[in-house]
Amino acid sequence: MSSHAWEKKPVLLLILATVTILVGTIFTMVLPFAWVNTEHDRIETVSPYSPLEQAGRDLYIREGCNNCHTQTVRPLVAEVLRYGDYSKSGEFIYDRPHLWGSRRTGPDLARLGGKYPDEWHYQHMVAPTSMIPKSNMPAYGFLNDNLIDPDAVKKAMDVLGFPYSSNDIAQLEGKTEMDAMVAYLQKLGTGIPWRKAAEVEIIGELVNPFPKEPTAIAAGELLYAENCAACHGEELEGQIGPELDQDVYSDDELFELIYVGVTDAGMPSFASLGSTKVWQIVNFINYRETP
Amino acid sequence: METVNYNYAIVRSFITWSIIWGVVTVLVGVLISFQLVLPELNFAPYLTYGRLRPIHTNAGIFGWGIGSFFALFYYMVQRLCRTSLWSDGLAKFQLWFFNATIITAAVTLLLGYTTSKEYHELEWPVDIMVVILWVAFAINIIMTIVKRREPQMYVSLWFMLASLVGVAILYLVNAAEVPVSLFKSYSAYAGTNDANVQWWFGHNAVAMVLTAPPLAVFYYFLPKATGAPIYSHRLSIVAFWSLIFMYLWTGAHHLLWTPVPDWVQTLAMAFSVMLIAPSWGSVFNGYLTMNGQWHQMRENYLVKFLILGITFYGLQTLQGPLQAVRSFSSFIHYTEWVPGHVHMGAMGWVSLVLFAAIYYLVPKIYGRELYSIPLANLHFWLVLVGQLIYSISLWVAGLQQAGMWHAMNNDGSLTYTFMEAFVEMYPYWWMRGVGGLIYLVGILVFIVNLIKTAQGGKPAPEAIQNA
Amino acid sequence: MDWASVLYLGFTFGLLVIFILIVWRTYQAKNKRRLEEPKHRMLDDD
Repeated sequence: MSSHAWEKKPVLLLILATVTILVGTIFTMVLPFAWVNTEHDRIETVSPYSPLEQAGRDLYIREGCNNCHTQTVRPLVAEVLRYGDYSKSGEFIYDRPHLWGSRRTGPDLARLGGKYPDEWHYQHMVAPTSMIPKSNMPAYGFLNDNLIDPDAVKKAMDVLGFPYSSNDIAQLEGKTEMDAMVAYLQKLGTGIPWRKAAEVEIIGELVNPFPKEPTAIAAGELLYAENCAACHGEELEGQIGPELDQDVYSDDELFELIYVGVTDAGMPSFASLGSTKVWQIVNFINYRETP
Repeated sequence: METVNYNYAIVRSFITWSIIWGVVTVLVGVLISFQLVLPELNFAPYLTYGRLRPIHTNAGIFGWGIGSFFALFYYMVQRLCRTSLWSDGLAKFQLWFFNATIITAAVTLLLGYTTSKEYHELEWPVDIMVVILWVAFAINIIMTIVKRREPQMYVSLWFMLASLVGVAILYLVNAAEVPVSLFKSYSAYAGTNDANVQWWFGHNAVAMVLTAPPLAVFYYFLPKATGAPIYSHRLSIVAFWSLIFMYLWTGAHHLLWTPVPDWVQTLAMAFSVMLIAPSWGSVFNGYLTMNGQWHQMRENYLVKFLILGITFYGLQTLQGPLQAVRSFSSFIHYTEWVPGHVHMGAMGWVSLVLFAAIYYLVPKIYGRELYSIPLANLHFWLVLVGQLIYSISLWVAGLQQAGMWHAMNNDGSLTYTFMEAFVEMYPYWWMRGVGGLIYLVGILVFIVNLIKTAQGGKPAPEAIQNA
Repeated sequence: MDWASVLYLGFTFGLLVIFILIVWRTYQAKNKRRLEEPKHRMLDDD
C-alpha cells in the first residue's frame, strides 16, 4: 500500500468503511441466525396464531400498543413475581414482527393471556379507568364499531403460512376488531403451561394474624379499592366477579382464593402482594362495618 | 483562485424544510407528553399516543435530523471539495421527493400503517421512497467528492461517506418484509431473530444518522466558527475507524436479559463500554481545539452551541455504556430513564450542533447578517433549560420507578404493585411536558430570528462575493 | 483449549494488530504533515 493510499481515495475509503461496518454486522446480526429459532429453541406446546388472534395482533400493531407495553419477561426475581415465567426464545417463533417493545409506560403483556376473564378486557379497552382508576391509557371503544375483514385475514394467514380451516374464516364474519384484540391478548404467553407450574401451594395451617383488627381492616379497604373493586364492585356488590358477602367464606378459604387465585375462572393470583396484604384484604371483606 | 459556482439555493431549501419538520416533531412531542398526564387528550382513532409517537420520532429523525444533514452535507461537500455539486437537478428532485416522503410517512402513520419496528415504522411503499431518496443523495455526494478539486479529504467527508453506506446497509436489511397488501407487510424475520436484527438496526441508526453526520458537522463547523483548526486530524482518523468498527457490535445491548443468545448480549455489552474511547476521542478533539480560545465561549454565540453540544455527546456516550451493562440494565431498562437519555442526545447533542451550523450558514445562504445575536442567545438558554428539565426529571423518575419495580418485602413478595409505581410518575410527566414546552418556545425564537434575518437583516459581505 | 477458543483469541488478536497498525501508520512522524494538512486547508477555502 503506498503511503498516499486511502486518505485521498474516496471510493477506496468507502469500500474500507463498508468492510469495517460488516465485521460487527456479521458476528452479531448474521451469525445468531444459526442459533435462534432452531430445533433447540423449539417448544412443543407453542402454536401459531388463529385467524382471529392474528387479526388482533395486526390491530395491536396498528394502534401502536408496543409504544407503551413490552412483551418480554426477563429472568429477574421481581419481574417473574410481577408478570410470570420469564420469556423463552421458542415462544416467539410465530411473531412476525416481534413485539418486545422498549418502554413500560404500561405493564409488560408477555404473560397477559388468561390473567383476566374476557369481560375484563372488553370493559378495560372501552374505558381503561373503569378497571384501573389512575390509568392513562387511551380508550379504544371504537374497536367495537369496526368489523374485521375475513378476506384480508385469510390473505395474511396465507402469507404467514399459518394453518386455518375455511370454517375459521367463515366464523370471522361479524366479529369486531374488539373481539380480535381480546382474542389476541388472551393468547399472549399461553404457549407454555406456566400458570399451572407457577401455581402457589399453601402448606400448613392458615392462621389469620390480625383477626378483626381495625388497622388491618382499614389497610384492607385501600388494598381492596385498588386491586379488587374493578371486578367485585366498589361496594363488593359483584360485577365481572361474584359479590363478596361476609360469612360466605371462612378466613382461611378467602385467603387461599385470593393468594392462589382460581385461574380457570378468571380470578388472578395475588400472591405477589405478599401474605400480609392478602390477610388485610381478608379482614376487610369478612369484618368490615356493614350499613 | 478561480471562482466556483456553489449551489447554496439547495442548502437554503433543505434548511427551511428541515426546520418545518423540526417544529412538527417538537409540537407532536409536546402533545404526546401531555397525553401521558391527560389521557383525554387522546382523540381516537387517529390522534392517540400509540399512533402519534412514531410520527414524533420519524419527523425528528427523518425530517429534522436527516433534512438538516442533507442541507449541511451539500454545503460541506461543496466547500471541502472546492467544487460545485455533481448534479443540481438530482438535488432538486431530492428536495421535493424528501417532502413527499415525509408527508406520506406522516399520513400513513396517522392511518395506522406501521411495521411497529422502532425508528423503522414506515410500511414497504414508504420504505421504497426512503431508499430512492438515499440513493439520489449518496450518488450526488459521492460523485461530488470524486470530481473534487481539493486533493485532501478532511475528516468530515469520511464521516459523511461512512454514514451514506451505513444507513444503506442498515435500512435495506431491516426492511426485509413480505407485503400482504399495499400498506401491510410481515417481517421476513421471526421472534428473537427479528428483535436482534431490529436492534442492530435501531442502535446503528443512532450511529449512522445521529452520530457520524453530526460529528461531520461538528468537525467542520467548530474550526469554521472559531477560526482555529481542529486540534488533531490524526486523532479524528483513529476515532473514525474505531467508532464505525465498534458501533455495529452493540445493538443487542437493547436486548439484555431477553431470549437473544447470551454471547451476543455479552459482545454488545463489551463493545458498548469500549465505544467510550472513540466517542471521547472526538470530545477531546473538540475541547483541545479550544485551547487558548476559551474566551470565545463568551464572545461567540456559535461556540456555546457547539461546545455544549459536544459536551452532551460526551455525557451521552458515558451514560449509554453504563446502561449497556447487564446489572444496570436489569435495573433501569424499560423505565422513564431511557427517554431522558435519548432526549439528551436528540435535544442536546444533535440539535445544538445543528442550530450552530444553521446560524453559521445564515450570511451565506440568506446573504444577510443574523438579525439578532441576543435572540440567538435567548434561543440557546431556552433549549438548554428545556432539555435539562426534561432529561433530569426523567432520570429521577426512572430511578424511582426502577426502585419501586424491584423492591421486595422480607417474605419475598413485591413491595409495590405496578400502579403504585405508576402513579408516582405523574409529577415527572408534568415536568417533562413543561420542559418540552420551553424547548418549543426556544425553537420559535430561533425561527423568528431566521425570518427577520431573511426579511431585513443587514447585507453580509461574504454573500456578495459568493452570490 | 478447544478450537472455538483458539479462533476467538486469534480473531481478537488480529483486531488488535489491525488497530495498532492504524495507530502506528497514523502517528508515524513522516506522515504527520500530510495527515494534519487537511485541517489547515479546510480553513482557507473562504
